[in-house]
Amino acid sequence: MWELIRANKIKSLVLFIVLGFCLLLLGIFLGSYYGGQEGGMYGFFIALGIWGLMSVISYFSGDSIILMMSKAKPVTYDVHPQLFNVVEEMKIAAGLPAMPKVYIIPDPAPNAFAVGRTPEKAAIAVTAGLLSTLNRDELQGVIAHEMSHILNRDVLFMTFSGVLLGSIVILSHVFLRSLWYGGGRRSSGNKGGGQAQMILMIVAIVMAILAPIMARLLYFAISRKREYLADASAVRLTRYPEGLASALEKISNSTYDLQSANKATAGLYIANPLKQKGRKLANLSSTHPPIQERIAILRGISQGANFINYQNAYSSVKGGYGRTNIIPASKIHEKHNVALREATTDVKQKTKTKTVRDLGDLMKKVNNFVFVTCLCGMKFKIPPDFKEEKFSCPRCSRINHVPVAELATLAGISDVIGK
Amino acid sequence: MECPVCKNEPMIVLELNEIEIDHCLKCKGIWLDAGELELLLGDAEKGRELLEQFQIDKSSQEKKFKCPICGKKMEKISVGDKNRILIDRCKNGHGLWFDQGELEDVIKEGTFDKDNKVLNLLKDMFNAD
Repeated sequence: MWELIRANKIKSLVLFIVLGFCLLLLGIFLGSYYGGQEGGMYGFFIALGIWGLMSVISYFSGDSIILMMSKAKPVTYDVHPQLFNVVEEMKIAAGLPAMPKVYIIPDPAPNAFAVGRTPEKAAIAVTAGLLSTLNRDELQGVIAHEMSHILNRDVLFMTFSGVLLGSIVILSHVFLRSLWYGGGRRSSGNKGGGQAQMILMIVAIVMAILAPIMARLLYFAISRKREYLADASAVRLTRYPEGLASALEKISNSTYDLQSANKATAGLYIANPLKQKGRKLANLSSTHPPIQERIAILRGISQGANFINYQNAYSSVKGGYGRTNIIPASKIHEKHNVALREATTDVKQKTKTKTVRDLGDLMKKVNNFVFVTCLCGMKFKIPPDFKEEKFSCPRCSRINHVPVAELATLAGISDVIGK
Repeated sequence: MECPVCKNEPMIVLELNEIEIDHCLKCKGIWLDAGELELLLGDAEKGRELLEQFQIDKSSQEKKFKCPICGKKMEKISVGDKNRILIDRCKNGHGLWFDQGELEDVIKEGTFDKDNKVLNLLKDMFNAD
C-alpha cells in the first residue's frame, strides 16, 4: 500500500502547487486591474490570505464542515446494526487503525462519501436511501470503496484541492460579478493609462474565466483516476465485484436528487449526486468516471480479485485508451492470489412498500424519533418534540408511555455533536 | 411534523400492517404524505383513479390550513357527488389532510374497495377513537 500512498502524496503536492500558482496569478491580475502595480501586490496577498485561511480551516475542521453541509448525522449501532457490522468488517479487512465514525444522511437519494485527514480520524457517511435500497453485498462494496479512499489518503487530497479550487472559483466569481454589476473601475483623469487599463482588463477577464475551468479539469482528471483505484481496492477487499457493480447500478438508476449536495461537495460522493441531463462535456469535467463504464469494468472481472484482474478488465473495457496503468506497478504483481467469492445467500427481494417503510423509519431514527410498540401490535413513531409523557392507543385505548429519558438522551447526543 | 389544525401539536406516526399514517392525537386528524394514499390502497392505479376524482373547491368558506411540510396554505378539495367531503391538499403536492373520519368517507366514495379491506384496516386502526 505504501507506494500507492506515496504516489498520492506526490501527486497531491504537484496539484497543490499548480493550483496554488494558478490562484496567486489570478490574484495578481485581478489586483492590478483594480489598482495598477500596487494593486497586483495587494491582489497577491489577498489571494494568499484566502488560500491560507481556507487551508487552515479545512485542515482542522474541513471534515466537520463537509458533514454539516451534507446534513449528515452521527448515529449509534442501534440505528442500523448491519451498517456498523459491514463498516467494522471492512475496517478489519483494510487494516484501518481505528473504526471510522458512522454518519447517516436523511435523504432518499442513494449515495455515500468518506472524510477525514488521517485514517485514524475518518468518517463514513451514507444516505438513508442507500441503506434502504442496497442488500448486504452491495452495501459492503460501497463501504469498501469509501474505506479505500480513506486508506489511500484520497480524502486529504480531495479536501485541500477542493479548497484551492473553491478559492479560485470564488475569486473569479466575485470579479466577474463586480464587472457585470459595477462596470469595473473607471480611470478618470488619467487618459494615458486607458490603453494599458484596457489590456489589463482583458487579461483579467480571460484569467478569471479560464482559471476556474483549468483548475477544475486538473482536479477532475486526478479525482477520476482515484475513483478507479478505489473501485479496484474495493474488489480486493470484498472479493465480490458484483456487489459494488450492482450498487452502482442502483445508485445510477435512482431518480432522486441528493438535496444537500452541491458543486463543491459533489466530488466526494461515490457517484455524482447531481444528475445533469444531456451534457456532452460530462466526460471531461466530471469528478467521476462514467458510472456505466465503472460497472462494465467491475462486471468484466474474472478469475480473481487482485489488482491485476481489475487492470485487465479496465483495459478491455477502455480499448485503445486502456493502456494507462491505473494501478501502481508494485500492486500489479501481488504474491498472493485473491480468489473471488460467491454471493451471500440473503438475497431476499424486499417489497416496494417495505423499502419505503425502511427508508422512512431510518430517516426518523436519524432525526431522533423514538419507536414504541403497543401491546395490540400498533407501532408508534414519536417525534422528538412530542410533549406528552403518555398517550392512549387509538386502536385499543391502552395507555402507552413515551420513553422521555430516551428522547432526552437522543436530543442530548445530537446537541453535543452539533456543537 | 405539526398538526395543521391544532398547530404546535406534533403528530405521531402510526404503523400497522405496513400502512403508515401521520396522526394528531388531539383532533384525530390524519395526514398522508405524497404517495401514501396509493400505498394505503395497495394499488398505484386505484390511487391515481381516486386522485383524479379530486376537484378544487374555490367556493368553500372553510378555514384554510397550512401544509405541515412547506407551510404554504393548502387548497380545499371536494370528493364525491352525493356527500361532498372537503379535504385539504398541499398545492406543492406534499400530501393530503383529512379531518377525523374523512379518510373513511373518501374511501367509501370510491368503488374499488370491494371487500372493504382498506376500510376495515382503518376501522381497526382507530377502533378506540
